[in-house]
Amino acid sequence: MTSRRGFLAGLAALSLPLPSWADAGSPDLLAAAKVGEGYHLFGLGAAGQTIFSLPLPARGHAAAAHPSRPLAVAFARRPGTFAAVIDCASGAETHRITPPDGRQFNGHGAFSAGGETLFTSEVVAATSQGLIGIWRSADFTRMGEFASGGIGPHDLKRLADGSLIVANGGIQTDPTDRTKLNLPDMRPNLSHLSADGTLLAQTELPEALWQNSIRHLALSPDGSVAFAMQWEGDPAMIVPLLGRWSPGQDAILATTPEAELARMKGYAGSIAMTVDGTTAITSPKGGVVLLHAADGTHLASHARADICGVSAHASGFIATDGGGALWACDRAGLTLLATGGPAWDNHLVPAGV
Amino acid sequence: MKRTLLALGLAVVASAARADYPETVRDHILPGYAAFAETTASLAAKATETCDSALLEPFFQHAFDAWMGVQHLNFGPVEEDGHRLAIHYWPDPKASGAKAQMALLKGDPAKLAPGAFAQQSVAARGLMALERLLFPAEPLPADPCPLIRATATDLAATAAAVNEGWKAGYGDTMLTAGEPGNTTFLTSPEVRQVLFTQLASGLEFLSDNRIARPLGTFDAPHPERAEARASGRSLRNILLALQAMRRMVATLTPDAPLTIAAFDKAIALAAAMNDPTLAGVATPEGHLKFEILGQSVDNIRAVILSELAPEMDVGIGFNAADGD
Repeated sequence: MTSRRGFLAGLAALSLPLPSWADAGSPDLLAAAKVGEGYHLFGLGAAGQTIFSLPLPARGHAAAAHPSRPLAVAFARRPGTFAAVIDCASGAETHRITPPDGRQFNGHGAFSAGGETLFTSEVVAATSQGLIGIWRSADFTRMGEFASGGIGPHDLKRLADGSLIVANGGIQTDPTDRTKLNLPDMRPNLSHLSADGTLLAQTELPEALWQNSIRHLALSPDGSVAFAMQWEGDPAMIVPLLGRWSPGQDAILATTPEAELARMKGYAGSIAMTVDGTTAITSPKGGVVLLHAADGTHLASHARADICGVSAHASGFIATDGGGALWACDRAGLTLLATGGPAWDNHLVPAGV
Repeated sequence: MKRTLLALGLAVVASAARADYPETVRDHILPGYAAFAETTASLAAKATETCDSALLEPFFQHAFDAWMGVQHLNFGPVEEDGHRLAIHYWPDPKASGAKAQMALLKGDPAKLAPGAFAQQSVAARGLMALERLLFPAEPLPADPCPLIRATATDLAATAAAVNEGWKAGYGDTMLTAGEPGNTTFLTSPEVRQVLFTQLASGLEFLSDNRIARPLGTFDAPHPERAEARASGRSLRNILLALQAMRRMVATLTPDAPLTIAAFDKAIALAAAMNDPTLAGVATPEGHLKFEILGQSVDNIRAVILSELAPEMDVGIGFNAADGD
């Protein structure tokens, strides 16, 4: 028998519009950060202002934003034992999802275009063999999984047609402490997968660059992807850290001048791309952000200590650093948007994408 | 520790114990780049008089010594316009420098004019390029004199540009940290953070490249990977790098005794080695000695994190320390 209370609640739900990002203050961007000794998920406006700040159960890596509902899935850092689903309107953690036994989350996730499904990058803990987990976002129950096409998947992005591009970073890690186990034998790839897990296309780097872990991705409206790498080989080598891939073709590496590349210290922490194809890659280790044109030519380098999070915004970028500053970033330089904030963590992601 | 920010130009009336980043800028960084600019200018002037390597060598050695006084500083003007690699392109595991240089040696002399030479690959420029010309392993296929002059002139111009960048602006940028309009250093702690990072990364470069690469393993040592072997500077560069970073610490704070002791231990070990080109890493005894030196450098890295970082109230950057 339906209770009166339940009946009324059902009626109310029918008569009210579904919650949207407007109910969470319409943030443009989401970022995790360290606040004192705790960790929070922030919703940020276009000018870098804080719209909301919600506690996280532990240090986050990246967040995945639901395309319409004000839901953010905050992934724990590797080895990822859980992800917290945060209702950004109420501030409540509505679900805590954990990978099946013997699996670990690997830091990133992406929703399907309609938001019904969440895809998560995962590994078989014992082998680092890559998987994509499939979750129904109505109640965050696990629906299944498929192979990611490589070892140690990290970032993944959903294309407009619903397919996925996965950065299989190639690094096998110890399941308990992230110790890297296979650096001499790494072989990263980029994999293009249909939403049901069919491998549609794959590309690898030239063999001399197999120790260059492909870790982060930025999508272009044309279905190509820009990718950022982290060099695990001989630190004396100066290697490309940015590339571009159109599935079905060979990847193209950026032609960054060596002296600019050297400033990155072999490490690109985040990547973003504007609609015109300009990319930004950040190196907190080198304290620098490098901008490249769509054809891979270097445009500018801007110094800022511990800069890492970056997202396309308007005609340029917004970037964050571990010192609590938010910056507008374009070819001309970095312009301070906000200071005195928390220690911004690795990634800055668009809300509602 | 109580800190006092000294305004630029204000007379220093404090006790001898005062040390903070204004001292580092004034007593370490600015004189270091000035010395590098002066010694490279002298080298370039001498190279216009003679290409006799015996006559140029002392000038080359002085310039390289001066570089070792500032080579741990990887921020500010030296990072602009590719200056750092154009001064010191090393390590160079693929021998890119020698290849690019050989093309210049046998190629169009127009590329040696100052404007054109500055556009050449950074691998073909700087101190290591000059070393290959002044101390060639094999006879050179063409008269190196024009290329020696071009390389020395270019090096002096690069050093002057970096020195000018510090004198004309970046030094003030550091000293005015936190003042309105300064968007390079938003606060004084940011300056300390950047300087601490230079020590951490400078020690890492020393350990990874100047020590671990030639050390290799006991069964597979790589003495041929030692820095500046041809000019006999491999061990000297390790010693000078340690001494320069120790001097920098002393300008940052008077209260880091364990850090200073850790530097002194490594400096004593390096000074006691009688192996200018690290050839001894191929012998059991030499390998062990060099390995111990490497451990002493790694120990400094541990001590600056445990003592100097809290003393300066800084750490490795939140993202730099632990990315993914």
